[in-house]
Amino acid sequence: MKFIKLENNDELQANLFSFAIHLALFLVMIFSVGWQTKTPYYGEVELWDSVPVQKKINKTQATPKKKIKQKQNTKVQKSAEAKAKAKAQKEADIKLKKKKAAEKKAAEKKAKKLKKQKAIKELKKKVLKQEKIDKLKKEMLEKEKVERLQQQIIEQQKIEKMQAELRESELKQQKKPALEGEDEVKGGVNTGELNKYKLLIQQKIQQNVNQQLCGLDYITLEFRISLMPTGELLGQPKMTKSSKIKSCDDAVERAIIQSQPLPLPIDSGLFSKLKNLELKFHPNGVE
Amino acid sequence: MKKSILLTALLGALLAGCASTELQEAQPLNPPQPELQSMQADDNQGTAYTSPDLNLQELRGNPLLAKDKRGIYFDFNKYVVKQEYMEVIQAHAKYLNETPAANMKIQGNTDYRGSHEYNLSLGQKRAVAVKEALNSFGVDDSQIETVSYGKEYANLDCVEQNSCGEDRRADVVYTVE
Amino acid sequence: MNKFLHIIFAGFLFFSSSVIHALEVIEILGGKASQIPIAVMPFKSFGAQKDIGKINSVIKGDLGRSGLFYPLDTRGVAASPNSDKEVNFSQWKSLEAQFLIIGRIDFVQKEKIKVSWSLIDIYKQQTILSGEYVGKNNQIRAIGHKVSDKVYERLTGSKGVFHTKIAFVEKYNNQKFKLNIADYDGYNITSLLDSKMPIISPRWSPDGKKIAYVSFEKEKPVIYIQEIATGKRKLLANFKGNNSAPAWSPDGKRLAIVLTYSTNSQIYLINTDGSDVKRLIRSRSITTEPSWSPDGKEIYYTSNQGGGPQIYKFNLESSEVSRVTFEGKYNLYPSLSYDGKLLLYLTQDQGKFKVALQNLQSNQVLKLTKGPLDEAPVFAPNGHMVLFVYKNYGKTTKIGTVSINGLKIDPLPLGSRQVQEPAWGPIKN
Repeated sequence: MKFIKLENNDELQANLFSFAIHLALFLVMIFSVGWQTKTPYYGEVELWDSVPVQKKINKTQATPKKKIKQKQNTKVQKSAEAKAKAKAQKEADIKLKKKKAAEKKAAEKKAKKLKKQKAIKELKKKVLKQEKIDKLKKEMLEKEKVERLQQQIIEQQKIEKMQAELRESELKQQKKPALEGEDEVKGGVNTGELNKYKLLIQQKIQQNVNQQLCGLDYITLEFRISLMPTGELLGQPKMTKSSKIKSCDDAVERAIIQSQPLPLPIDSGLFSKLKNLELKFHPNGVE
Repeated sequence: MKKSILLTALLGALLAGCASTELQEAQPLNPPQPELQSMQADDNQGTAYTSPDLNLQELRGNPLLAKDKRGIYFDFNKYVVKQEYMEVIQAHAKYLNETPAANMKIQGNTDYRGSHEYNLSLGQKRAVAVKEALNSFGVDDSQIETVSYGKEYANLDCVEQNSCGEDRRADVVYTVE
Repeated sequence: MNKFLHIIFAGFLFFSSSVIHALEVIEILGGKASQIPIAVMPFKSFGAQKDIGKINSVIKGDLGRSGLFYPLDTRGVAASPNSDKEVNFSQWKSLEAQFLIIGRIDFVQKEKIKVSWSLIDIYKQQTILSGEYVGKNNQIRAIGHKVSDKVYERLTGSKGVFHTKIAFVEKYNNQKFKLNIADYDGYNITSLLDSKMPIISPRWSPDGKKIAYVSFEKEKPVIYIQEIATGKRKLLANFKGNNSAPAWSPDGKRLAIVLTYSTNSQIYLINTDGSDVKRLIRSRSITTEPSWSPDGKEIYYTSNQGGGPQIYKFNLESSEVSRVTFEGKYNLYPSLSYDGKLLLYLTQDQGKFKVALQNLQSNQVLKLTKGPLDEAPVFAPNGHMVLFVYKNYGKTTKIGTVSINGLKIDPLPLGSRQVQEPAWGPIKN
């Protein structure tokens, strides 16, 4: 090959520089580095359902009164100690009275204590009863809530079913007639298999599109993505057409990222067809 | 040459991405709202729901005018006066025609279900239906006033107690004998 | 030489771009209504303080109630990060959080606080929104609502309503009535009116400064307009017969009302000063519950001209009347979302009273609640939530919110109060 003479140094520099930049850009384009991808770290975290409950302190039980055996007095001599006896009798009477009074007091005290314990018991019963009623009320409310939610889930499933049917009919229009029954091999690639993976990818991403953030109108948005054989994204999804609603653009981008890893074939020929994809979204369906 | 390298480097740096952080806001909030005064309903305090109703004995002793017969009952969402009440209404019409000074108020009511406003209108329709029945027996509008309380006095548990029919009624009340 | 090299480069680029154009295309229709998982950490307190309440539970309550967010349980999660540099993103990802809110409260003066907060995107691993508010100690809830509004607007694109007020009627002591206003989540209740007779149909003026309502205090229903700040009120309508169902026009200059002046419930227009009363519809049937379209051109209302109550609309320019609801035999209490796209109303379905939504473009109907005795549904000013009345076991009626995607129902914490007739106040700019 003949080398062409250049006219001057400046031009050579300029051209070399230009070539270098083009090469650099081209290389960057082909080998975009996924410098942000990190392998997920599954750290351990202690999650408690509720704060640990304090143990109840056992109340001390009142000890029952022990019977004090009274020693029986021995008999005292009569005559000489009759006076003493009378005196002792008197003293004994006083003592007895005092004793009776003390016993009466003790009995009253005991009765009071019993009454108090009874009152506490009654109160506890009331509280328990009220707690039971509150618990029942709460359960009923919860039950109502659950039933309502179940109803809404059923309604939501109905909507999803309708959308799935819509999707299916759309797909049928997209399918090539050669797919019916036989697998056609085109350009070295099995079209049937290709469409199967496209469907899997479509379904996985669709599940994550939170279309509530996309208003009510029939809007569309488009993204371009590059994938690694593992199903993870190479770089960030690139939006090529905005829905004009920022929250919708964000939600769809989130959906794409959330859908990793995308289901991809092992066959490298098939993978090469799927490693760069154009995704077109119609979050509210089509008219 | 060097300039263009510098420019490209600058461009590259700019394109490396801008982190978007919202501008710092440090603003005092609106002052707390002035304390709202609880307002009593002004002037006419209004009397309770049951206006003075006259004892049946004074109404010529006619059993058809008995106090416990002064409710006319309706089907759900309907304001057609049923045939079974026509006899009683006729008795009232006769009394009113014979007693020009007598004045009557018809109070329309509904059961608890539905909205307050629609039931206010429905209660009104019921009161008017009774009035028109009286008109058909020759009573003049000057002796009749129609009022609706809608569902304001309905029993909230009528569905559970299966007694909603009791609330769907127009009450006849004499304000002047 | 130049031209030759240029041709090589051009050919190079063309070749590479043609490779790109052979991309497979995947069309994705629809999606799945879900709640965005968000973690709201307790805000750290600095400086001498008393317990002023948990701001993170205010934010969690707000975002959860909208039905668009699922606030995660963060109890037991390791130490709260102080900035996005300290966030362990993989940990949050494994907890399936998509966003994280962190913040701090500094006690700056005796009764003043400064609240700083950040909204962090877990996938993008960066702070996407932050702010700072200064206020009094007792404004902690209001500050929390402001944070919720900002986060909501950033992530959904719609205006937040967490700062708004509601009004409702409370029946107490078996035969007394109060007209109350409160924060939309049921806190900070104050009374505007105390009466021995029923109060119904409270309605906020578009500027949020006045409330129109119907009172039975004169032994018949009459309409008042009351100024919230001063408590002063004016009798708007006391014509012969019933006066009820006030509905403010979107420009706040007139009200549609219902009078039984001609013995039948009919809709009239009246200026806010009580002048210029105009009859709108002539009908032998009940016509009531007027509700304006947001552009002020149509009035939706309930009529039983078809037998049972159904919803119709009246065009103010052409005087044309057309029917709007066709599903079911009993539809009433109409109101429109702020964008005019959704009709909210009460329907009877298999004997049960439920809150329903009708998409006015597609005419699809969705039942939002299950009944059996629901009533009085009203829209939040951003159209994303609905306030409605439901009956509890026993005699009490309650008020709750339901998100319009049906995913979240929440009762208002009004205790054992017997409450009804809710109305939702406007967004304050």
